[in-house]
Amino acid sequence: MNRALLRLSLACLAMFVLLLLNINYVQAFKATKLAAEPGNIRVFDQQFSYQRGAIMAAGDGTDLKIAESRLIKGTTTYQRYYPQGKVYAPVTGYDTIYSQSGIEQAENSLLAGTSPQLAVHNLTALLTGKQKQGATVELTVSPAAQKAAYDALTADGGHAAAVVAIQPSTGAILALASYPTFNPNDLTTFNGSTLNKVDHRLLTDSTQPLLNRAIQETYPPGSSFKIVTSSAAFSHGLVKNPNTLVNAPEPLRLPNGNDLINDGGEICGDGHPPIIQAFWMSCNTAFGELGMKLTAPTLRQYSSQYGMNRPLSIPLPVVPSVMPKGRYWLDPSLTAFSAMGQFNDAVTPLQEAMFSAAVANHGKLMYPYLVQQVVGPGLSQIQRANTRLLSQAASPTVAGYVQSMMYQVTNNPGGTAYATAGPQATGGITIDGKTGTAQNGLNNGNLNDAVFTCFVPGSNGQPSPIAVGVIVQGGGFGADAAAPIAVQVIKAYLGAHS
Amino acid sequence: MSVPANIDQPVLMPHGRRRTELVMLGFAVAVVLFAYGAVGLGLKGKLPPGLPVQVLVFAALMLAAHLAIRRFAPYADPLLLPLAGLLNGLGLVMIYRLVQSGRNGNPGFHVTDLSTSATTTQLLYTTVGILAMVAVLVLISEPRVLQRYTYTLGALGLVLLAIPALLPASHSVVNGAKVWIILGGGFSIEPGEFARLALAVFFAGYLVAKRDALALAGRRVLGIDLPRARDLGPVLAAWAASLLILIFETDIGASALFFGMFIAMLYVATQRTSWLLLGVLLFLAGSWLTALLFGHVMERFTIWLHPFQGSNPTNSSFQLVQGLEGMAFGGLFGTGLGQGQPYHTPLVQSDFIFSAFGEELGLVGVMALLLVFGLLVQRGLRAALAVTDPFSKLLVGGLSFVLALQVFVIVGGVTGLIPLTGVTTPFLSQGGSSLVASWILVGLLIRVSNSARKPAPQPIQDEGMTQVVRAA
Repeated sequence: MNRALLRLSLACLAMFVLLLLNINYVQAFKATKLAAEPGNIRVFDQQFSYQRGAIMAAGDGTDLKIAESRLIKGTTTYQRYYPQGKVYAPVTGYDTIYSQSGIEQAENSLLAGTSPQLAVHNLTALLTGKQKQGATVELTVSPAAQKAAYDALTADGGHAAAVVAIQPSTGAILALASYPTFNPNDLTTFNGSTLNKVDHRLLTDSTQPLLNRAIQETYPPGSSFKIVTSSAAFSHGLVKNPNTLVNAPEPLRLPNGNDLINDGGEICGDGHPPIIQAFWMSCNTAFGELGMKLTAPTLRQYSSQYGMNRPLSIPLPVVPSVMPKGRYWLDPSLTAFSAMGQFNDAVTPLQEAMFSAAVANHGKLMYPYLVQQVVGPGLSQIQRANTRLLSQAASPTVAGYVQSMMYQVTNNPGGTAYATAGPQATGGITIDGKTGTAQNGLNNGNLNDAVFTCFVPGSNGQPSPIAVGVIVQGGGFGADAAAPIAVQVIKAYLGAHS
Repeated sequence: MSVPANIDQPVLMPHGRRRTELVMLGFAVAVVLFAYGAVGLGLKGKLPPGLPVQVLVFAALMLAAHLAIRRFAPYADPLLLPLAGLLNGLGLVMIYRLVQSGRNGNPGFHVTDLSTSATTTQLLYTTVGILAMVAVLVLISEPRVLQRYTYTLGALGLVLLAIPALLPASHSVVNGAKVWIILGGGFSIEPGEFARLALAVFFAGYLVAKRDALALAGRRVLGIDLPRARDLGPVLAAWAASLLILIFETDIGASALFFGMFIAMLYVATQRTSWLLLGVLLFLAGSWLTALLFGHVMERFTIWLHPFQGSNPTNSSFQLVQGLEGMAFGGLFGTGLGQGQPYHTPLVQSDFIFSAFGEELGLVGVMALLLVFGLLVQRGLRAALAVTDPFSKLLVGGLSFVLALQVFVIVGGVTGLIPLTGVTTPFLSQGGSSLVASWILVGLLIRVSNSARKPAPQPIQDEGMTQVVRAA
């Protein structure tokens, strides 16, 4: 009978081997997938049983805590808290018991401590009996600029608006504000039904407070797009330099028989002004004609060089700013409108800041980013930002030409933003910019959106410190509604960095 | 052939290795002691107040068992008691941990159907189990003694199996399985656990008597010797009995164990592959038939194949999903005793106790647990191989196999390897019947391993000039 017993032993061995293989499969191989199963109670409960990492605004040299997890007195549960309330909501996003948005979502695995990059930390914590802890995320955001941006948008008087500030030489985002916004502290409750009520209120609010207008919504760029059109014209030799004369009729008869007119039917200089004057006065006909000569594909190529027509991750997802290839996009009459930022052109406020940032950085457009570094529980650096080139928007020469034209917009008494962003308005700070007053809506029936993009030029060998993009929905003239917001952000930032 | 003894050298008395057993037992008790302490430290950061008394009682029980083995089975395998003791002790620790969940200011929820006194009760059952094991050693001086009671135990086994089926549901159903005798006062017995042991003895006795007849070749078809039709009787009877358990007691696990044990013993007795094939075919046919006829059998298959599909995780497969997620949560090293959330899994104290170990001790912990079970089975099979008496061989071979099969059915079930069926995890699950039956099983293994390892009677030494002849 021993032969049969030996075979029986082999059967027993096989059963144990199968069990061992299977528990390895469940607990090692498939563990991550099981942890991500929707409704995993353990993972759900655990996220509040240890301290989630803090989020800091580190753009002014000192760290300002903008999100932290606090131990609820008398319990072992941590609750999220946003000391700055609404000010940083478009940046941090929220962290509810069910989901996250903003940085809370984009950096969730590091904040929660579940990222593989923290595996060594977690193992050390396990072995030394310390409590598991999330990593701290330090942002490039400047508290001074962010506060100014939030205050300026709030004071504007109820228009939906957004502002983004970038450091042109690195792409570091210094401010990112959207209005109306929400208070993320309203969403940190552990009570599911309270949360549902708040969530319902925010979702049904017609002012869309959860919408991050700075990066998730696009608006027609209006005349600010003339930065792209003139870059293309210089680069293609269509216009030699800023003093080259261009044709600026009033009106411009389009191939389809319609007329393109300047704002208010204004005559642009003598009808043949140098391009620099057409730019500071923001004459539509001059750029409309240049656009038709350049053709739509060329314009689109330059818009791409300025960072358009592609999604970005900062690491929050940014909707692409576009000059789309629509059904009629090759029609020259419509290209004339595209060339001055109308027709189907649509950009985010972030893109507005990127237009200026590219010009300010001698044509080099840096990839915008929010996370400066991630610091582990042991204060060791886990991740740091590496600045990288997004694209070469224009040659340094062309960028210089565009910069000289943007200087006139704010510093020439005839410039569109002389009154609101000129030397008197800024208290001596030199700003180069471009206004936009974008018609939108069906048959352009809505109130015009106010657009302003600008930067503080570098001086004495120092790179440009800041570029700002502002869009005020229904704000009217860019110079009136948008430029003052940009000026306040710049003043606050330079004030904190002088 | 005869070998003359060398009378100049002292004869080495083969030793029973009882000291090894004591040392290993000390090791097992130490592991249990530390695990018990770790539960308290994990839950509250301090040692449990009941620790000294409960561990002392446990250690005393193990020592008593050891002394009984010294007295009644001095040549027994020295690993059997420490392995079983370690499993029993860890089961106690986990039950203590689960009782504490959500009580006395500890984190977590109450585990339903687990009373505050469950740890003490389980320690009491351990005592009964050790007493039962010692009784086996005392009453059954030689394994062959049991052979006399082949048919008595067979009848007893059948009666024990049948009782829950015959009792009204109010006296026999717990958690959907009609396998209990509910005696009132919160006390109930699962007779199937004992029936399995009685039937193992019956099968061993019956098969030893009839194995020549069963091994007789019938016709040979396609290289397989088919049995004669009239020899099929006992096989069909066992199959019918296991189907009846399945149908009337809705207990797939017990039915599989019962039939698996029978087929394994039949194979060992006859060495005929044809019986094995026939058994497997009958089992598959039975499963398929019952799956078609009974919704609850089909549902087990659905849960097994699609645990995460649709609304299954919150309904039918909730328990399995909780167990799996718990084990995954534990990962490689586990959360540590007292620091996981095993209380989310329904019936975690009985059917799903293995997943609680997986969660809190991690992959390394449950691999060690499985190896302990594997070692216990291996020591049993070793005794079966070594013992000469065919009845003992068959009995211990069958019991070792059914232990392995039980671990496979329940651990495979909770880890999603095979469809889940409710059988207890030997030594670990909360509950008296399973624990006492497991200790009786270990008692039988110890008894047979003693016979296997006992040295042949020594020839009388130095009797003047008498020539000593030893039969080889």
